[in-house]
This record gives sequence, structure tokens and C-alpha cells, in this order.
Amino acid sequence: MGAQFDISFVFSFLPKLLGTLSTTLLIVACSLLTGIIVGFLVALPRLYKVPVLKTLSEIYISFFRGTPILIQLFLFYYGLPEIMKLVHVDMTRTPVLVFVILTYGLHTGAYMSEMIRASVMAVDKGQVEAAYAAGMTGFQAFTRIVLPQALGIAVPVFSNLIIALLKDTSLAFTLGVMEMSGKAQTLGSLTQHFIETYIALALIYLVISFTIEKLLLVAEHHLLRHEKRNTPEKKLFKINKSWSYRRIIAELGPGKGGTGL
Amino acid sequence: MKLDPSFIWTALVQILSAIPTTLYITVVSVLIGFVIGVAVALIRLYRVPLLHPLAVGYVTFIRGTPMLTHLLLIYFGLPVLIDGLAVHFGWSFRSVSIPMIGFAYISFSITAGAYMSEVVRSGLLAVDRGQLEAAHSIGMTTPQALKRIVFPQALAASLPNLSNSVIGMLHGSTLAFTVSVVDINAKAQIVASTNWKFFEAYLAAALIFWALTFLIERVTSVIEKRINLYNRGGVA
Repeated sequence: MGAQFDISFVFSFLPKLLGTLSTTLLIVACSLLTGIIVGFLVALPRLYKVPVLKTLSEIYISFFRGTPILIQLFLFYYGLPEIMKLVHVDMTRTPVLVFVILTYGLHTGAYMSEMIRASVMAVDKGQVEAAYAAGMTGFQAFTRIVLPQALGIAVPVFSNLIIALLKDTSLAFTLGVMEMSGKAQTLGSLTQHFIETYIALALIYLVISFTIEKLLLVAEHHLLRHEKRNTPEKKLFKINKSWSYRRIIAELGPGKGGTGL
Repeated sequence: MKLDPSFIWTALVQILSAIPTTLYITVVSVLIGFVIGVAVALIRLYRVPLLHPLAVGYVTFIRGTPMLTHLLLIYFGLPVLIDGLAVHFGWSFRSVSIPMIGFAYISFSITAGAYMSEVVRSGLLAVDRGQLEAAHSIGMTTPQALKRIVFPQALAASLPNLSNSVIGMLHGSTLAFTVSVVDINAKAQIVASTNWKFFEAYLAAALIFWALTFLIERVTSVIEKRINLYNRGGVA
């Protein structure tokens, strides 16, 4: 299958794949933005227990977490134009990228809302009460007291979500978007050097996710600088010293269902 | 092209026939992945020399790259490797005799292994170290203590993550269509393109996945209640 393995092709493919990195990052950035906004809107009814909206947002989260992103991509790509046709909006000329970003945005939004909910709930309720006692309004208490603390708690999950999103974008090729995976497939079939292309592709993804993880680790330390390290040292089963227990739990907690594809 | 609600049902019935394939892929990858995961987690926890950096590299690589690249690398790389070895050692076995679904099994198991190792590791870390020490003090060997004392507790602690991983693999199995395995997603594609009703077919597939995910969550919560019985606290 394919031509003889030749490691030099990996290096020659790297720059070619990097040329489409911007598309991948564009998808990631735009859907992340959409995801954060949607996530907030969806998390608020659940946090403040708004009757009907709460149920709706639960259904939304359940659907987007309960179906594979690949199915969602196809569903939106084929379904949205038909639904929009009912309200007389023509979407036949909309670029594919819009559908892709919308789907990834809504998909991440479901996970984002879970992240936001979990991290806000992790902030001690006494903090809010103290803020009220000091005379702050509900909005002030949220933005000045809860949010800064919740941000620090959310960072590990957030970093996992971004990496999961990055990895998910590799599926956009199924709708014909020329991002890195799509480019890799064309390069592979053009040159018949499939293994080398996919090694190059994997390397690029690895470097990006590693960078994102490191950057957000720095952000986490910055955000948690006011936290007193007063948690009693847990005598855990051979605990790996370099990792704090909370981080491991947070990473696996309400994050992406274990596998980010 | 017009929305045809009755076709959703027709598609649903047709896609149902592909559920076993999806479930096979999920179950096989989760089971083999769990075995790999336990091995990798123990290597990392006990910092076995030589194997430890390998295990860390494996987990980092798999978690840092999309599942699609693993599948494609195995799909294109494994035959080259096997055929090369076969020629070298004079085996009669050739990669052509590996069924397509075999590649999916192998690749998804490797993927699941890395994620499972993190699940298992966090589960083991959640067990109080005193438990192991107590087991040692009453004369158990380390394997005995791990098997009888630590693992059952770790399992209970990691059950939610485990179910998340299973769901992740269930959703990940949709990638199998790239190596021409007819799972739910591929079947939906076939049904959609033969009838030219894409929306309805994918809606049916989404409903099936939603139901399967819901089922896994339900089963997990039942097991969780059962497994946490000893954990209820109090005196009785």
C-alpha cells in the first residue's frame, strides 16, 4: 500500500500542512468564542434555576453530549438549510465553514456550560453571602467575587476542552473543509506517502496541544495565586508529587467525555 | 428536497442493523483499552524504570493527537510493518488477511488505552494510602492488596470517568467509516445517499446514539449505587 517509507517526506510535508494550520486555528478560535457565549447563556438558567429555560438547556446539553460530533456535523450541514427553508431563508450559498464553526460552537457550548456550572458551584457559597453582607449587588458579587475564583477552577477543564476541540476539528474534512486533516489526505493520495503525511499531521497536532496545555498551566498558576495552599496533604496511594490531586480530578471531571476523539 | 418525518422511522429501522458493529467496536476497544490502561497506570504509579518514560510518551502522544490520525496511521502503517516482518521472517501471514474492522479494533484500543490509563490512575490515586498499608500489615502481598483492597475501591471512585470513556469510545467509533466499516454512521450515510434524504437519516442516527448514551449513563448510575453500598457510612 503506497510507496516505500521515507522519513524525509515527513519533513517536506510539515510546511505544506502548516499552510492550512490557519484554517484549523480559525475553526478552533471561532467555535471557542461561540462556545463560551452559548455556554454562558445555557449555564445561567441552570445556575439560577429558571423553570422552563432550565429544562431546555438540559435537553440541549444532553443532546450535544449524547451524540457524536461527526453525526452533529452532518446533521447541521444537511439539516439546517432545510429548516431555514421553512422560514424562507436561503442557505444554499452559505460557505461550509459557517456550518462547521456553528456545529463545533454548539458542541463545545454544551461542554462549556457544564464547565461553567461546575466551577461556579465549586466556589464556596459563603463567599457570595459575605459579598452580600458587604453590600454588593448580585451582579457585583458574581463579577467581583465568584467569577475570578471560578476562572481559576475552570482552567484545567478549559484547557482540556480546547485540546478536545482542536482534535475534533480533524473531522471537518468530512464536509470538504481544507483544514490540516483534509490537506493531509490530499497530500497522501497525491504522493502515495500516507504514513509520512499522517506522522507529520500527528506531530503538528501534538505540538499545538502541548503548547495550549503549557500556556493554560501558566494561566492557572496566575489565577490561583491568591489561593492559600492550605489543603491538608492527602496521603494518597503513591501520589505523583508533581501533580496536585485537584488538577487530576478536574481534568477528568466534567470535561470532555474522556475521549476527545 | 423536502422534510419527510416518516422517513426518520424508516431510516431508524434500517440503521438498527448496524448497531452491533458499533457496539462491537466500542466493547472491544474499551476492554482491551482497560487492560492497557491498568498496565500503563501501574507503570506510571510505580515509576518502573525504562517503561515509565515510554508510558508517559504513549499517553502524551495519544492524548495530544486526534483519534482520526491514530486510525489512519494504523490503517496505513500496520500493513507495511506486518508485511515487512513477514517477508523478513518468512511468515505466510500477510496484512491483507486482516479484516477492515481489525484495524478499527487495534487503533481504537490503543486510543482507549491512553485515556483509560488516566482514568485508572486517578481512581488509584483516590484510594487512601493507609488502605494499602493496612493490607500489608495484615500480611497481604502487594498484588493481593492491589487486587483485593485497592482495585475495588479505585473502581468505585473511577466509575463516572469510566462511563465517560465508554461514551467517548462509542462516539469515537463513528470514525470507523474512514476504513470502510459499516457502523451506525456509515449505515446512515448509505441510507441517506440511496434515498437522497440526508437530514432524516442523520437525525435517526443521532437519536440512536442519544439513546445508547442515555442507556450507558443509566447503567452506570445503577452500578454506582450497587458498588458504593459499602461506602454508606454510619454504624449499621
